[in-house]
Amino acid sequence: MRITFLIVVVLSVLSPSLLSQEIIIPQNPLNGRLVFEEKGCIECHSIGGFGGTTGPSLTRDLYFGSVLELATIIWNHTPQMNRKFRQMTINRPQLTENEMLDLFGFLYYLRYLGEPGSVAKGKKLLEIKGCSGCHSIGASGGSIGPSFENIQQYASPLYIVQTMWNHGPAMQEQLKKSGVKYPILTGQDIADITMYIRQATMGNDEIRMAPGNPNKGKEVFDNKGCDNCHLTEGKAKRILAPNLRKLELKKSVTETASSMWNHGPMMLKEMKKESIDWPIFVNNEMADLIAYLYFLGFEDKSGDKNRGERTFKDKSCNSCHKTGREGKGPDLTKIKKFDSPIKMVQLMWNHASEMEDLLISQNKPWPTLDTGDMCDLYAYLKYITQK
Amino acid sequence: MEIKRRDFLKLFGGFSGALLLGGCGLDEVLEVPASWVNKVKNGPKIETWKNTICGLCSGGCGIQVRLIDGLPVHIKGNPNYPVNQGGMCPLGINALHHLYNPDRIQIPMKRVGNPLTGKWEPISWEDAFKIISQRLIKLRRQNITHQLVILGSGERGVMKELISRFASAYGSPNYYQFSSLPNDVVPYLLVHGQSQIPSYDFLNAKIILSFGSNFLEEGFSPIYYTKLYSHHREQQTRYIQIEPRMSLTAANADSWVPIRPGTYGALALGLAYVLIREELYNEDFVTKYTFGFEDWIDKESKKHIGFRNYVLENYYPEKVSEITGVSSELILELGRELGNTPRALVLGGGGALDNTNGTFSMMAIQSLNGLLGNYERKGGIYFIDEPPYSKLPPVIEDSIAKNGNKKEPHAKPQDISFPLTNFSIESFTKNILRDNPYPIDTLFLFRGNPLFHSINHHEFVDALKKTPFIVSFDSFINETNEYAHLILPVNTFLEDWNESSNIPSVGFSHIGIQQPVVEPLFSTRSMGDIFIDLAKQIGGTVSDSFPFENYKQVIEHKLLGVYNSGRGAIASKGVKKMWLEYLQQRGWQISRYSSYEEFWDQLLKDGGWWNPIREEKRLNEIFKTPSGKFEFYSQKLKNSLDTLLKNQKENDSTHNLESILSRLNITARGDAVYLPHHEIVPYEGEKPFYFTTFQVLPNRDGKGANLPLMQEMFGYSVRSYWRSWVEINPINAEEYGIKDGDWIWIESSINRIKVQAKVIPAIMPNVIAIPFGLGHTSYGRYAKGYGVNPNSIMHNLYDYLSGKPALDGTKVKISLAS
Repeated sequence: MRITFLIVVVLSVLSPSLLSQEIIIPQNPLNGRLVFEEKGCIECHSIGGFGGTTGPSLTRDLYFGSVLELATIIWNHTPQMNRKFRQMTINRPQLTENEMLDLFGFLYYLRYLGEPGSVAKGKKLLEIKGCSGCHSIGASGGSIGPSFENIQQYASPLYIVQTMWNHGPAMQEQLKKSGVKYPILTGQDIADITMYIRQATMGNDEIRMAPGNPNKGKEVFDNKGCDNCHLTEGKAKRILAPNLRKLELKKSVTETASSMWNHGPMMLKEMKKESIDWPIFVNNEMADLIAYLYFLGFEDKSGDKNRGERTFKDKSCNSCHKTGREGKGPDLTKIKKFDSPIKMVQLMWNHASEMEDLLISQNKPWPTLDTGDMCDLYAYLKYITQK
Repeated sequence: MEIKRRDFLKLFGGFSGALLLGGCGLDEVLEVPASWVNKVKNGPKIETWKNTICGLCSGGCGIQVRLIDGLPVHIKGNPNYPVNQGGMCPLGINALHHLYNPDRIQIPMKRVGNPLTGKWEPISWEDAFKIISQRLIKLRRQNITHQLVILGSGERGVMKELISRFASAYGSPNYYQFSSLPNDVVPYLLVHGQSQIPSYDFLNAKIILSFGSNFLEEGFSPIYYTKLYSHHREQQTRYIQIEPRMSLTAANADSWVPIRPGTYGALALGLAYVLIREELYNEDFVTKYTFGFEDWIDKESKKHIGFRNYVLENYYPEKVSEITGVSSELILELGRELGNTPRALVLGGGGALDNTNGTFSMMAIQSLNGLLGNYERKGGIYFIDEPPYSKLPPVIEDSIAKNGNKKEPHAKPQDISFPLTNFSIESFTKNILRDNPYPIDTLFLFRGNPLFHSINHHEFVDALKKTPFIVSFDSFINETNEYAHLILPVNTFLEDWNESSNIPSVGFSHIGIQQPVVEPLFSTRSMGDIFIDLAKQIGGTVSDSFPFENYKQVIEHKLLGVYNSGRGAIASKGVKKMWLEYLQQRGWQISRYSSYEEFWDQLLKDGGWWNPIREEKRLNEIFKTPSGKFEFYSQKLKNSLDTLLKNQKENDSTHNLESILSRLNITARGDAVYLPHHEIVPYEGEKPFYFTTFQVLPNRDGKGANLPLMQEMFGYSVRSYWRSWVEINPINAEEYGIKDGDWIWIESSINRIKVQAKVIPAIMPNVIAIPFGLGHTSYGRYAKGYGVNPNSIMHNLYDYLSGKPALDGTKVKISLAS
C-alpha cells in the first residue's frame, strides 16, 4: 500500500544519531521482567504496587529516560544502593550484557504500557466527548454508530483506538454530517473510556492486545509505506510530516495513539490531496508501530569524545584507569572495544562495589555524572577502546 | 508372580543403570520392551524433555520427563506449572515404575471361567470392540439403553464430559463416579447453595484452623498445599491442626489439638459459642449476608430459633469439652484467637467428613467462616471460575437415547437414605442386588478400584457377580476388575492425552495438558479414543455426537475457547500473577500468538495454562441458597426432607418426620435438625477404641501399592515398609502390655485383622489408626499379599445425608496375638 501520510503527528524527521543504532532493541521488552525478578530488583523496587518498598517505586516515579539517562540515575545513587545491600545482607547482583539490555529495555518499556483507566471517569467522558450522541450503552445513546453494549470486552485501550482509526474517514464524514465536533482525546481519556465500556459491555470474550514489539513495529512502519513521508532511516521519499525529534516520543501507548487520533482530520486532508489510501491496522499492528516509535528514544544522542575525555579526567577516572599497569583499575585502552553503551553500563554496574570500596579507602567522593557526561564518556571510551 | 522385599532390594541395587543396560536381571522391576532397550543401547543417546501432567493421583502436578532417544528415563516437577511449582511427591517421581510395571495389562483380555481364578485369554482389539458394540447395539434395539451403567473414578474436566457425552448419546442416565466428591460437596450445598468445593486464600491468611484436613498428605493436591505451607513458614502464619492422630500436617503445624473422633462439629460449635458470646464475629457480614442467625418467624408465623441462641444454649465450653475431650480452657483460647486475628481461616475435611455425622460437622465448621465473614475477602474463601473452554457441539439424541435418558438414575437412593446426592456406593450396590429400579445389563468400570475401597465388601462382590457383563478399562488387574468379563488395557498417563483442569480447592483457574511422552509400550489404547471409537461402531446418532477423530481433537477443540477468550496465560517462566495483573489492568495480555496452532504448540511445550486473576464476585452472587445468603439454617435441607416426607407419605401414609429422621440417624429435633449441630455417632459402646485410618503420600488411596519403591517408602514416618502397622498411644499400650512391634488383633463386630503395633504418642489415647492402601488381594506382584486393608473390618455405616462412607464410624477392641 502506498502511503505518504501515515501518522503525521507522531512521525517525523529523525536525527542521524538514530540512523546508526548500536543497541539491539529487545525482541520482547517484557522479558526483562525475568531479570528484574531473578536479580532481586523486585525485593526493593515495586512496579504497579508489586514488589518491595526499600527503593523507589518504578512506576509511580516514572523517571524512565534513555539508556544513559537511566544509567546515570543508577550510577549516582550507587553508594546509597550499596548501603542498602549491606543492610539487607544481599550481594550486589552481577549482570551480563544481555541481562543489562533486557533490564533496561523492560524498565524503559513500563511507561509505554500505560496506566489503568477509571470506570467513573470513562462514563462521564462518553457524555462530555459526545460519543453517546452516536453510540448507545444501556438504554441511552444514539444509534448512528454501533452500540457499545454489544461489542466484546475490548480490554485494550489501544484496540479501541485502532478500531476508531480504521473507521476514521467514515467517522469524520459522519461527524461532519451530524454537526458534531471531532472529539479530542488524551491518552488517559482513552484508558478511562475503555475501562467503562469494558465493564458495561455484554460481550464474553476479552479482546486484549499483546504489548508491542518494536522490531515488528519497524516492519509495520515499512510495510505500510510510512517511510514514504516519514524519515526513519534518513531516506524518506517525501518529508511532509512534523519533525519527530521535536516531539516527545516517550509517552504511553495511549498518549501516542491519542495524538494520532487527534490529528486524524488534518492527516486525512493531506492524504486526500496526495491521493493516498487511509492506512488500516489489524491485529497487533498499532501496538507494534507505537512500540517502534517509542523505542526510537531508547538510545541516546551521540556524545562528544573530547568532552568525554575531559570528564574522564575531571571525575578522576584516570587516577585509577591509567595506561599501562600503573593504575588500580584496568587500562581501558586494552580492553575489548565498546560496541554498545549497554556494555559500558554493564561494566560500570558490576564494578561499582569494588570502586566504592576503593574511593572510601582513599577518602574520595563518589563521582556523580549527568546524562551528558555519560554520553560523552561513552563516546570517549568507545574511541579509546576502538583505538 | 510373587516377589519378596529382599529380592526387590537386591534387584533395585542396579536400578540407576537399568534402562541403558537392559536385561541385567531387572526385568521383574521394570518391563521395558526389548525393542526399546536395543534402541537405547545402540542409539545416539539424544536427550529431550517433554512437559506433561502427572496422572497418578488427583493432584494434577506438572511434570517434566527426560527422554533418551525417545525413552522416558527420569521425571521431575515442572517449575513453571502453577499448581506444584516444581514440587513433586514420591509417587510422581516414581511414575516410571508405573509405566514400566511388569504387571501392566498389555493386550485386551477376556475372562475364562469364574472370577478370581486368574484365567484370562488374550483377544484382539477388533474382537473386543465387536463384543462390546454388539452388546450395546442389542440394548439399543431392545430400547433398554439405560441398563448400561458407567462407574468412573474421579475423572474430571474434558474426560468427564466425554464419558458423560457418550452416556447421553447412547441413552443412559447412569454415569457415576466412585470417589467421595459427590458426597463431599453436600455440606457446602447446604450452607452455600452450590456444590463447588471452595478455594481457600492460604497465602493471605494469618491463622489457619484445620478440622481434620490432612492437606499435606491427603488433600486434593498435597504438593500445591505443601508449597503454600512453605510460604506460611516464611510469613509466620499460625497453623492449628485438630484431629485425633498427628498427621504430617499436624506434625508441621504450630499446634496439634487432639480430638475424639466424630466430635469435630461439637468443637466448631464450641468455638462459635466463644465468637458469639464475646462478640468477635463479623456483625456486618452476618447481618447482611447470612440467614438464620437470629431467631426468626416464617411465613406461617411459626417461630424458629436462630443459630446464635441455639449455640449459646447448647455449646458452651464445658459441655463441648465433655463431648470432644478438648479442654474448655483450650476452647476459649482457640475461639478468642480465631476471633481476634484478622484473616483467620477455617477449613475441614478428612475425619471431620468421614463419619455418620460428617455433613453436620462440616456445616458447623463452615459456620465459623460464616461468623467471621470469610467470603470473597483477603485470607478468606472464594470460588474460582471455570476455564473459558469452547463448548462441544450439542449431543444428538435419537428417540432411543431420549427414552433411556429419561429413566430414573439407577444408583439414585431408592429409600429414605442419602436424600442430598444422586450417588452413593451403598445405593449403587444395593440397587444392583435388588434390580431396583431396574436390572442392569452392562457395567463399564473406568479405572478405579471400588471393591478395595468399599466398606461393604461382600455385597459389592455379590453385585459384581450379579452383573451380566462387565467391561473394565484399566492398566492393571485389581480386586474389582477381577470380576470383569473383558478388560481393555488403557494407556498409562505417560502414553496418553488428557487435560487436568481446576483441581478442587486450588486457588486459581488452570488447565494442565497431559500429552503422551512416549508411544504406548504395549497394545494399549487411549481411554478417550476408546469411547469415540465405540460410539462410531454403535453408529447412528451416537456416532454423530462424536464428530472427532480422536480424543486429542476434543481437547484441542475445548482449548480453542481459552485461546479466543484472551484470558490468562500459558504457564511459562516468569508468567506470575503480579505481571499478569499489572498487564491486565492496562489492557494487555502477556504473550501473543499469530494463530491457534502457535498457541497450542506453546501450550504443549510449557505444559499448561492458568489464570490467577479472578473476577471478584458480589456476595449475593456466590450464595445460591433459597435465601441467596450463607444459611446457618439450611432451607435446602428443610426442603429436601419435606419433599422426602411428601413422597414417602404418598406410598405410606404412616410416615412422618419422626420416622424419616430416625431412618436418617438424625437424633436432633425441631429447628436443630436444619442448623449446624453435633450428631452423636452410633458407636458400639462396649468397644474401647475408636478406629481410624489415614493415607500416606507414597501410596495415597492404594494406587501406589503396585510400585515397589513406594512400598519401600510406605511407612517412612515410622520405618515400617511393605507392611501395615497400627498406631497406639503408650498409655493404652501399657494397659494392654503391648510393645512396639508386637502383633495384635484388631477386632470389630464385622471382622478382625492382625497388625504390628507402633506405640507412639502421636495418637490420642483410646484411638488407634492404621494406614490405608495395603492389604491387596490382587493388583500385581508388589501389591498382593502385603499388609491389611483396614476397610475390611469397618461397619457398613454412612453419613445418611450425603452417602459418604463413615470410615471413622467403627469402634474396635484389641488383643495381643499369640
